[in-house]
Amino acid sequence: MVTFKEQLYAWRTVIFALFLRELQSKFNDKFGLSWAFLEPFVFILALSFFRGLISEGDVHGIPLMVFMMIGLVGLQTFTVTLQSVSTSIKRNKPLYAFRQVQPMSAIMTAGFLELSIKMVVILLLSLALYLSGLGFSVNNYLLLITLISLLWVQALSIGIVFGIAFAFVPEVDKVKSMLLRPLMFISCVFYSLQDIPEKYWYLLTWNPLVHFNELARYACFPSYGDAGVSLSYAVETTIGSLFFALCLYHITWKRVLAR
Amino acid sequence: MIRIENLTKSYPSKLGPQYIFRDLNFDFPTENNVAILGKNGTGKSTLFRLLAKSEYPDTGRIVTNKAMSWPVALQTGIHPQMTGRENTRFIGRINNVRSLSDYEEKVQEFAEVGKRFDLPVRTYSSGMRAKLVFACCMNIDFDIYLIDEATSVGDPIFRKKARASLKEKSEQAGVIMVSHELDQIREFCTSAVVIDEGRLTYYADLEEGIDVYTQENKK
Repeated sequence: MVTFKEQLYAWRTVIFALFLRELQSKFNDKFGLSWAFLEPFVFILALSFFRGLISEGDVHGIPLMVFMMIGLVGLQTFTVTLQSVSTSIKRNKPLYAFRQVQPMSAIMTAGFLELSIKMVVILLLSLALYLSGLGFSVNNYLLLITLISLLWVQALSIGIVFGIAFAFVPEVDKVKSMLLRPLMFISCVFYSLQDIPEKYWYLLTWNPLVHFNELARYACFPSYGDAGVSLSYAVETTIGSLFFALCLYHITWKRVLAR
Repeated sequence: MIRIENLTKSYPSKLGPQYIFRDLNFDFPTENNVAILGKNGTGKSTLFRLLAKSEYPDTGRIVTNKAMSWPVALQTGIHPQMTGRENTRFIGRINNVRSLSDYEEKVQEFAEVGKRFDLPVRTYSSGMRAKLVFACCMNIDFDIYLIDEATSVGDPIFRKKARASLKEKSEQAGVIMVSHELDQIREFCTSAVVIDEGRLTYYADLEEGIDVYTQENKK
């Protein structure tokens, strides 16, 4: 009988092998791996910078550039992880010939890859802020780390759901990109929930991303406040989506192999 | 011995589920090299993938205590953008070989790719790719090697070498092969399993199996 420890070791081996493979095959042009970090870094930096140029000042006590950055990092972490995870199931299909490689290995690999890329991007952005004299000290690191982890788990879960649905119904992919597009505008990326009259909040606060973004700002700048959002909503939606995704995975993964 | 118990396998289609096997019970012999014979669409490849656990049955199960290779076909697990060496290391890692560098060396020598081992696989000819995949598989110790027809496209010298190494391994290991090329099957196998309408029959003598198979074709 295989012990739990051996199981874990086997999973680690497979995910590590897939991780290296992903790195080698995805980034083997001249830009190499650096492109993976530079592209989101430049995108976020440029967008935040130009937003800062258009109107100076700050949003409820946060410098505009930092305000934008937090929102964009949150949005990007969510959408990019979701996209990458949901396509990973189909993308790694030839590898399921090896019985060691299961769809979950591909999902975990894609998830870890995106998480590590995002970590480096956050590091680069902090460095850029520090060098430009806009540096600030994060008030509540623990909350910030919790938020990033939860956001990642939630993106992973929803990615799994879309990935499995895509394996059965190819049209899901088109619907997915249509659903993801408005996220940029409804997730409090470039405006604050506090700019909106309180009676319309219900139109936005169903979206967990609003909670993640606003809470991340609150974790960095306590004076910003956390009106209208709550950590418990973020936790609940994450647990809910993770549970649903894992159930769906459990009942379908063998059939996904045959697709 | 691989035991197949109450196995049912179907694929969904627009005309409802297409059953390949229904309540199949069979003891698959592995003492000698076995060829799987059958017409197109009778489920040769499905059976092959089920044995390799690349796919799973709807109900029922396949019981074995043998270490089986992955179904070695032309392209499995090979990424065209990666070099031969990177691909080899990937397969080595997945299969948990003891020493990666040792394995790498053996594969490079066996596959006869020489310096091109460090070039992306997309620059290889199809014969070279087949050799690489085959070399990757042969240099890992399995109890049973599952080999698809596409793998044996190498030149005659390579085929001879492949047969020699399979023969060398045949004391502890067996081969299960799927192919339409009868001379390839005669080269590698000594017995046959014929699939017909979801039923399997074992022929200890390869020629007997081939007879049944070719007569079925004429009908």
